[in-house]
Parts: sequence; C-alpha cells; structure tokens
Amino acid sequence: MIKLIEKIEGEAKLNFNFKEGRIDFVDIEFMSTRNIENILRGKNAFDALVINPRVCGICGHAHLIATVQALESCYSNLKLSNKAKIIRELTLNFELIQNHFKWFYLTMLPLFGHKQEILKATYPSQLMGKAIAIFGGQYPHTSYAVVGGVVCEITQMDIVKLEHYISQTSKFVEENLVKTDSEIFLTCKDADALLDYEGDLPDILREIKKEGFLEHGKSYDRFISFGENSYFKKGKSLKAKVTHNISVLHVKESEMPSSFAKNVSFKDKYYEVGPLARAMVNKTPLIADAHKKYGDSIFSRILARVCEISQLLQHSKELIKDLDLSEKSYIEPSIDISKLSSSGYSAVEAARGTLIHKVEIENGMIKNYEIITPTQWNLSGGTKDKQGVSQKAMIGLSDVKTAELVFKSFDVCSVCTTH
Amino acid sequence: MEKNSLFNKLSSRLDELSNLPKLDDEVSISKLIEEKGFSRREFMSWAGAMTAMLMLPASFTPLVAKAAELADRLPLVWLHMAECTGCSESLLRSATPSIDSLIFDYISLEYHETIMAAAGWQAEHNLEHAMEKYKGRYILMVEGGIPHAQSDYFLTIGAHGKTGEQSAREASENAAAIFAIGSCSSFGGVQAAYPNPTNATALSNVTDKPVINVPGCPPSESNIVGTLLHFILYGTLPALDVFNRPKWAYGLRIHDSCERRGRFDAGEFVEEFGDEGAKDGYCLYKVGCKGPYTFNNCSKQKFNQGTSWPIQAGHGCMGCSEPDFWDKMGIVHEPLGDRLYHTVFGGLGADATADKIGVGILTVTAIGIAAHAAISLIKNPKE
Repeated sequence: MIKLIEKIEGEAKLNFNFKEGRIDFVDIEFMSTRNIENILRGKNAFDALVINPRVCGICGHAHLIATVQALESCYSNLKLSNKAKIIRELTLNFELIQNHFKWFYLTMLPLFGHKQEILKATYPSQLMGKAIAIFGGQYPHTSYAVVGGVVCEITQMDIVKLEHYISQTSKFVEENLVKTDSEIFLTCKDADALLDYEGDLPDILREIKKEGFLEHGKSYDRFISFGENSYFKKGKSLKAKVTHNISVLHVKESEMPSSFAKNVSFKDKYYEVGPLARAMVNKTPLIADAHKKYGDSIFSRILARVCEISQLLQHSKELIKDLDLSEKSYIEPSIDISKLSSSGYSAVEAARGTLIHKVEIENGMIKNYEIITPTQWNLSGGTKDKQGVSQKAMIGLSDVKTAELVFKSFDVCSVCTTH
Repeated sequence: MEKNSLFNKLSSRLDELSNLPKLDDEVSISKLIEEKGFSRREFMSWAGAMTAMLMLPASFTPLVAKAAELADRLPLVWLHMAECTGCSESLLRSATPSIDSLIFDYISLEYHETIMAAAGWQAEHNLEHAMEKYKGRYILMVEGGIPHAQSDYFLTIGAHGKTGEQSAREASENAAAIFAIGSCSSFGGVQAAYPNPTNATALSNVTDKPVINVPGCPPSESNIVGTLLHFILYGTLPALDVFNRPKWAYGLRIHDSCERRGRFDAGEFVEEFGDEGAKDGYCLYKVGCKGPYTFNNCSKQKFNQGTSWPIQAGHGCMGCSEPDFWDKMGIVHEPLGDRLYHTVFGGLGADATADKIGVGILTVTAIGIAAHAAISLIKNPKE
C-alpha cells in the first residue's frame, strides 16, 4: 500500500492497493473540514451571499452565483433584467477561464516533466481577475450579485476595458496554448489535426500519444451537467448518447465512514462532471471527435478543459454585444426576505463541473443549506464493487506517478469537497 | 534629521542582510527579474509604488528596491490551514509588472502547497529540510484558521497525519517573523463563525510567539507583499494596532479615505440598489456598508492591480478585516446602526458571541453614524 497526498487546494489522501503490480483499488480520504453548512444555519438568508464564496478561493464566484440563484428560486415571481443575467454569466465565464489556465500551467505541465510555468499561469488569470473586478470590485471573493440583480452600474468605459482584457487573453492563447488563429482552433473538428500545431497544448497531447497514455484515465464514460445558461446545456451523456431530461431531485448525497467528504450519485450511479462532461452534453465537435477516437481518457479530458478557454472567450464576446447598459441592474423583489418562508435550489457550472446549492428559508432565516460541489461527484469514494469515477479511472495502472496524473486530470479541489 | 537616521538604519540593516547566503548562488533576484523581461526602469517604478505604500519618502525608493533584491536571504515558509486558498489566489494575481509575484514565487517555493509541484512525502520532506536549514531565519506566513484543542482533528495534513495545530506550532518555533495572512489565520475567519463547528481559532492563539496579523478576506496583494518588504527593510515588527495589524496598512478606516465620502458628508445615500443614487455613486451606508467600522487601506490600494474595489463596484464594505466580522457585521445589506431593532440570530445579535471583544466600541460609533443617516433622510429633498 502506498499513499499519495494530493496537495492542490487542500488535501486528499489516496491509499493504493496493488495486485500483481497493478492498481487494484484506491481508497480516497479527506482529512479536513470546515463545516460551512452548519455555520449557515440560523443566519440571515442574505448573509449566505457573503459566507458562501468563502467555501472556495478558486471557484468562489461560482458559489456566489449558485447562492444568489438558489435564494432567487425561493421567490415565486422574481424579476431579473437581461443585463443582470448577462453580467453574472460573464463573470462566471471569466472565473472558469482563469481556473483552466492555472490548472494547465501549474498542475498539468509539471506532471509531464515540464517546468512549472508560473508566469504563464498568472498572466492570463490576472487579466481575467481584472475583468471580474470591473463588475465585482475584487476577485477572489466578490459579493456583487444580490437577490434581484447585481449592484454594479457599469459604463461604456468599463466595456472598453473588458474587451481589452478579453482580447489580450485571446492573444495569449494564440501565442502560447495553440499557436494559430483562435477562429481556426474553435472551428477545428479533428482532434488529430490539432497535433500538427505548435503550442503548449499540442505539446502535451503529442506526449500523451508518444508515451502510450491514450488508454489512461478511462472511467464509466458517463457524464452529467446540470448548470444551464446561454452556453451550457443540461443533460447526461452515456457512451456519447445524450439525453436532456434530468432532474436535480434524483441527486443524492451519502456519508462516508472514513472521510469528511460525502458521496454524490444520480439515480444511484456515479457520473463524471466538468469540462469534458459539458462538451459531451453540448456535443462540441472537436471534443466529440476526441471522445470517439480516445474515449474518456486523459487525452479527451485535458483537451476539453483547455478548449473551453477559447470557447468561453468567444462566447463572452458575443454576450457583451447583447448587453444593454440602459436596462436596470437591480429590480427589487416584491416580498421582503423577512416575510419569506420557502425552499429552492440552483445548479451552476463551475470550473470543475456541476455545483448544486439547496436552501430552506423560514422567515428570512436559513433553516437548512446543502452544498454539492463538483469534486464530490468526481471523487466520490465508492466500494470495490461500486467505484467512484476517479477511482475507476486509476484501476489497472502500474505506478503511482501515472495514477497521480489521471487523478489530477479531474482538477481536484478538496477545500470545496469537504466545505 | 530624523529622516536621515532612519535612512541610515535601514541601509545598515540591508548591508547586514546582503552578507547572508543566498537561496541559490547561481540566481539573483535582479537577474531573475531581468530574465523575465522587466527593465530596470519598470522595476524601479514598482519599487517607487511600494515605497509610497509603506509611507516612506520617495528618496527611500533605492532602499526598497534593494530590499526586494535581498528577499532571497530570508526564505519564506507558507503554511495552509483550514481555509479556501483565497489569500494565495490574491497573491497569485498581484500587481503588474508581476515583480512581486516573481519574488514571492522565487523565495517561497520551499513550501507553498498550492503552487508547488512536489506532493506528499516529497513536499513534507522539503518543508522539514527548509525549516532545519534556515532555522531562525525563515519568515513564516500562515493562511487559514486552525481547528484547536480537542477539535484539532478537523484539520489533519501531510503524510505523517499531523494536525494543523501541531504543524503551525512547530513552524512558529524557529521563525524569524510570523505573519498571519488573511482574516482566517488572524482571527479564525469564516470557519470560526457561530457556532464554530470545528473550534477554529487564530494563529496567535496556538503559538506564544508574536504574530503580525494581515487580515482581509482576502487581503490585497499589496498588503501581503508590503508586509514582507517592511520586515526585510526594518528587521523588526512594524507599529501595530490593538489587533496586531500593521498601522501602515490598517491605520485608517475605509470610511476615512473612501471615494464616496463626500456623498456621505452631503447626506446623499443609495436607498436601494439600482436607484438613481446608485448610478451616481452615492454613499452605500444605508445598503449595509461597514466602511465606518473597518480599518484597512482598500480605498487606496484597491484590488486586482488597482482595477477596482467593492465600494467602487457599488457593494458596501462588509468589514472583512475586522475580528469576527461574520457574526458582528451582519446583516450584509443592512446598516449596522439598525442593529438595535433587527439583529442576527433571531434577535440575539452580537450577544450570541458576547464573549468576544470589540462590540461595545463599534456600537457607540454605530449610533452616531446611524443618527447622521437618519437625519439625512429628512433633509434629502428627493424623499
């Protein structure tokens, strides 16, 4: 038995069981918790807007958007302007983009024996952080979204700045990640054609092929994504067959005896969430092609995450065109929160996958709050007979180093997981 | 005269430091910065900004530049406790040109869990090695609250399964200076909010060494970097306020140098988000701004390389650099002055955590501010 301590964003402990030189079973344990759900109980409902982003410093914004949507779902006739909707979506896009850069340059590259390129990670994520700060005042940990809209009153000048940050980030992608015009990268439908380009992403993909890693990291080929917006669709994909008719009500959490994290399943089955899941549900041509050729291996998983950077940059540009600054930023809810007793939920696509918040309010106070984070989906620690997604992905590998690569291809966040 | 003696004092401190061995003989910080494509001019303009932030005269700029270049004489150990990693995030996107992130990355790679590539046994070994090799010389920065006493098992870290409390105490033992980065390690933070399920507490409660608090959720990157530079320059602890916060950063209230202060004085308040006042940048007190009770320099330093800060974006200050702000500064969108009628925890309000300090002073100020806000409502012709 060998132990691996996963260090990114808090810690997870992995116990590897080997049988005849191959990994037979991996036990995943989380050893720390902060118990945020417990702290929320009995607090004023709006205070959740300040507390919840602090669940995670990396995807805190997704927690803010999930909180505000969960609270809004408690009202029966709440109005939200198109402007507020677009602004919330934009800032969430920026958070996803900056996260993917950091994951690729800080976590993935060193695992392939490359030098960790800190500046390549920080430069584009700084730009995206600034883009969020235009609306939110700061990043991480903004609370600019409130029930009824957003508090910022942006001007045309802010839009000019925003467009600049986006174009600078696109330029970084074209000069470093995939050295070609973004347009060409976005319309590419052939995963193998990508290997002919220069850039940090094709380098890694070529290495995966050369080292014979193409079979690594395959799991159930079962994907799910709940967070709907103008770009992402809700649905599940089973061996590339997509259905959109799914309900959050079938999502269940269950306690684990040896860990502070809870397992998450949909209709009693474990599903993978994250960029690959979103691309499968959205039927993105390039990722669908990679999946057809290489299944749900690390090749497809890495490609899907990095590819999302360009897709979201492109989509953000289109969203900005739809932004009408003369609309209202905030529309006051018709009932005061202190008179509200209700319950609701929200589902948002965070960098690592579907994030679900469920809330119960009694006279404006939180009676119960449940948070289901993306890493809980991917890292559910099942039994030998019924393994979690990442557990299954590591079975059969012969060494811990490769297992670490597979494990981290899911972009793990343990502070979120145990919250 | 006084200026001269300080200049001489800092110079001799830096001369002393330059005699210490470097982290790596092959690399120097000035070379590193040059390699990454920053010109000397860019570096000096960065140093100039830092000098101003540390409230030193412009003639001290060469000293601050030298201090930055000597940062590799005092390696940095950064520990993660119960937290969200937001403070590291704040640091990772510090000012352009990314000179301070460069310096931090270079000197702190000995042990910064989030950005280091090594994991598990290797990482733990690196830490032990760094702490032994640089005994008495390293700077310790701790991020996160610490589950304490019988609840310490809520934070178990590392290959040896140590508790966070143990690690923090051990690392504090031989550090040259200890900084608690962020409100969590300064005061316990979000996990210490009522009912504090994991019994999380501040770093200063688990070690008997002096701890300098750099609170904020997250603190701005410039406060983190400034704290480090200050220590390199002076070699002593900075002047501190009652909560052990450096006065150069936490000496004034948000309210004192707020860009909307004129609106407050004129009695122009945002009555509701999205109203005409909100569009014109009126004061946010009535929609819950806690700026009058919060000591920090956000209004001057701002966030994300000076892009913006919460009040500029139209959201009131939530008081994140004050102790236990989760419990004492709520409700988020209501002025603290309204507390007398409507409080958190079903009317119990701050009494739910009455054993903690500070409420008394805050309430007195609150009444004054609330009175002003109430009068303004009558005087405002728009009403």
